[in-house]
Amino acid sequence: MKSRYEAAKNVFVDSIDIDDYIELDSSTSAYKQLEHSMDKPLKMILLFGKPGTGKSILLNRIHIKLKNKREIHYFDTPAINEKEFFHKLFKVLTKKDLPNNTEVNFSALVDFCKNLRGKREIIILLDEAQMYSPEMMEKIRLFSDSRAVKFVVSLHKTEDEDLIAKEHFQSRIWEVIELKNATKEDQSKYIYKKLLKKNLFEVANAIKDKDMKLIHTFTKGNYRECNKLLFTLFEICEYYDKNDPSKMNYEHMPQRIIEMAALKLGYIHV
Amino acid sequence: MYDIKPLEEEWKRYKKKKMKPWYTLIFVIFLMLLISLIFLNYKKIDFLKFNDKSNVEIVTDKSTILLIDKALTTLEIKKSKVSEIPKITEIKPMTVTSYENESMEIVEDIPILEDIKTIKEPRVKIKTVEKSRKKMHLNIIETTSVSAYKDVAKRFNQSHDTDDSLFLAESYYRKGNYKKAEYWALQTNKVNGNIEESWLIFVKSKVKLGRKNEAIRILTAYIKKSNSVEAKSLLHKIKKGTL
Repeated sequence: MKSRYEAAKNVFVDSIDIDDYIELDSSTSAYKQLEHSMDKPLKMILLFGKPGTGKSILLNRIHIKLKNKREIHYFDTPAINEKEFFHKLFKVLTKKDLPNNTEVNFSALVDFCKNLRGKREIIILLDEAQMYSPEMMEKIRLFSDSRAVKFVVSLHKTEDEDLIAKEHFQSRIWEVIELKNATKEDQSKYIYKKLLKKNLFEVANAIKDKDMKLIHTFTKGNYRECNKLLFTLFEICEYYDKNDPSKMNYEHMPQRIIEMAALKLGYIHV
Repeated sequence: MYDIKPLEEEWKRYKKKKMKPWYTLIFVIFLMLLISLIFLNYKKIDFLKFNDKSNVEIVTDKSTILLIDKALTTLEIKKSKVSEIPKITEIKPMTVTSYENESMEIVEDIPILEDIKTIKEPRVKIKTVEKSRKKMHLNIIETTSVSAYKDVAKRFNQSHDTDDSLFLAESYYRKGNYKKAEYWALQTNKVNGNIEESWLIFVKSKVKLGRKNEAIRILTAYIKKSNSVEAKSLLHKIKKGTL
């Protein structure tokens, strides 16, 4: 028989699948803020936050929601080089494939964009933009100056990159949306909603407030870390459920297992 | 599925490490409690010891009071059976009040009461006190008498006070311990050979121990020396065998 924990474990496989999106007060607010910013005549919007705060899933969600209403494109993985990026951009702008053995002329593409002004409003969602070089970012800015193409740039906020990002975009970015780690309440809701979405009510009910607090302490409210911890947690539960049920408490998640998962992931050390 | 055993072991080590400060804290608290408990107990024992001592002291004090009382009453009674009565009545209220304030230890120690049967006036006054004394005394004398006697004996060895030795002689005689009564009467005589009561107890003890002839011989010698009426009456009793 399939363990209930196996299903629970799979709930927390890290993905940006729109089906895994959980409506939370904070995420709804960020979504609305982004949607509102895109309506403004802005050239670039910076979406930044630490890894695992939900930037990618937010971009994905806005892409899915608006793709039928507006001309919106999601570049989930950064292009390895300029050539590839222009290739992708050409395809988006012209809605045609680039003929073989031809290269995109940057100034021709910028001119093309300028011609589109007032005719079309294209939104390009750039995920993992910290991987683009400053030169590349400069060229992206030139495209956005055409006012026909609007860029939503998603950036990792790390200690070092924070300053770089701010300095680089200070004069160019008109709107900054910052995503933060979840509060304890938000994280609890996130976990419950995720489990309930898959009808795992008993599993969700076994995680008490005290456990949620512990999980929040270990993960610091980061959604990706939370997914990792809960995946490992349910993996251990699955093992005990199948091999040693005496060590499982089905009504109350043993703190020991949460700590074991935290040890496994290196949140705590011996 | 990764191997769960090493993870369990790691968790046990983690738990131990996590609990270490708590265990230390509990241990320190326990240690402090233990120390304070020992300290308190020590104080308690000390206090009890002190109390015991005070008990003993009180008893000995009382026996002293008793002796003084006894000496006073007997001496005065015997010297001036009729003429000194007013004096005794003056003293009595004082002794009575002292009994009232002290706990009543003395009942058994007052053979005088029996001996003074002849004195009627003071007896009547004392009786009211005696009643209450008898009630309280029984327990105390049972529990403390041994130590009290020992204390009196010890004190006699230091001070050679005949009041102490005579008290012991009389007490032991009353209790039927004639050998000890004889010993303490002899000790009294050694210090002061003129105490008639001591001679009489000495002789009476000898009779009780079955040495009647020896007793008669000693008593006759004493009568010759003192010409005492009491001694003569005792000799008569011994000879008749009515002692």
